[in-house]
Amino acid sequence: MDKELEHQFVTNLEKYQNIAHKICRIYTNDQDSHNDLFQEITIQLWKAYPKFRGEAKFSTWMYRVALNTAITLYRKKKRSIRTQDFDTVDFKIKAEEYDDETEQQLKVMYSAIQELNDIEKALVFLYLEDKNYRDISETLGITEVNARVKMNRVKTKLKNILNP
Amino acid sequence: MDGLNLLKKDWKKRESDIPQLSYDQIYKMLWKRSSSIVKWIFVISILEFLFWALLTIFMADIDYWTEMERINLKEFTVTVYVINYAVTFFFIYCFYKNYRKISSTDNVAGLMKNILRTRKTVKYYIGYILLSTALITLIYTYFMMDYHATNTVVEDMEKYSFTSIQWIKFAGIIIGGLAVFLGLLWLFYKVLYGILLRRLNKNYKELKKLEV
Repeated sequence: MDKELEHQFVTNLEKYQNIAHKICRIYTNDQDSHNDLFQEITIQLWKAYPKFRGEAKFSTWMYRVALNTAITLYRKKKRSIRTQDFDTVDFKIKAEEYDDETEQQLKVMYSAIQELNDIEKALVFLYLEDKNYRDISETLGITEVNARVKMNRVKTKLKNILNP
Repeated sequence: MDGLNLLKKDWKKRESDIPQLSYDQIYKMLWKRSSSIVKWIFVISILEFLFWALLTIFMADIDYWTEMERINLKEFTVTVYVINYAVTFFFIYCFYKNYRKISSTDNVAGLMKNILRTRKTVKYYIGYILLSTALITLIYTYFMMDYHATNTVVEDMEKYSFTSIQWIKFAGIIIGGLAVFLGLLWLFYKVLYGILLRRLNKNYKELKKLEV
């Protein structure tokens, strides 16, 4: 195994690990599954790394591989239990930061995200990450128009959940 | 405030509570590839089992069983089959357990322990195969000789009885043949599992370096 490649990879991943953690936040709802998915993402990234030729930025490439892992690989592995108490999980709302109403609203939003399917979660994630439609289409391997349509649907879905 | 914007703001705010893993922690995760090696050991054991099972099915046709019946070895052969399958299944189960264990281990010490355990299981498995093959061959040889000795009618006994030197030669040929056969079998397993075991060993050594 190429030691230099390994070092390069781990350094990059250490730098951009936030991306993977945030994906884990969207896709899992307890610490164990978070760690599992993170591990899986790390392994998949490492497997794909020899093909990463630095044409794209590491972070761009990482968004793609990590999201694909979450969508395709992880789905097969295990279905997390949906009915988990929301306060115990990754999205702990810090009570002192918001007033009651906002706090409630956020809680509903985050649990609404948990109800979305894997592709919709990916869209919301990329939206929250402030990605433009070109990036989104490239990351998910769909056309820009398709990305726009899908994103609007998800947004409407979330809004409907929030204001029934 | 619009819900989605609120969410986006909150999302940004949370960026600071993201846990940060160290270089070493991430590096260790790469060693999880041991788990895929162990998975291959499991898969190969199943393929190998199927290979032998199919071989026996093709070889053990009616003629084979009639012959076995004739020399009074049918019951013995069936018993050997049953025991052999049971033991093989047991080993396949062990390989599977190793694989489950290794893929759910997070810490280096546990991973190292599991690697050692897997290597041991493979070694026991190969040991079992060599030993059982030797034993079964010897038992069959004995029974067959016994059968022919009691059932073959010879007119001139003198011609067919061995002197002790001839007996030694005969035993030598049997044991020599068996040794060559077992050697080949051993070589086959060495190739089949050896590559994977070597890789596991390499991982083990790297992990050990990480530990100290």
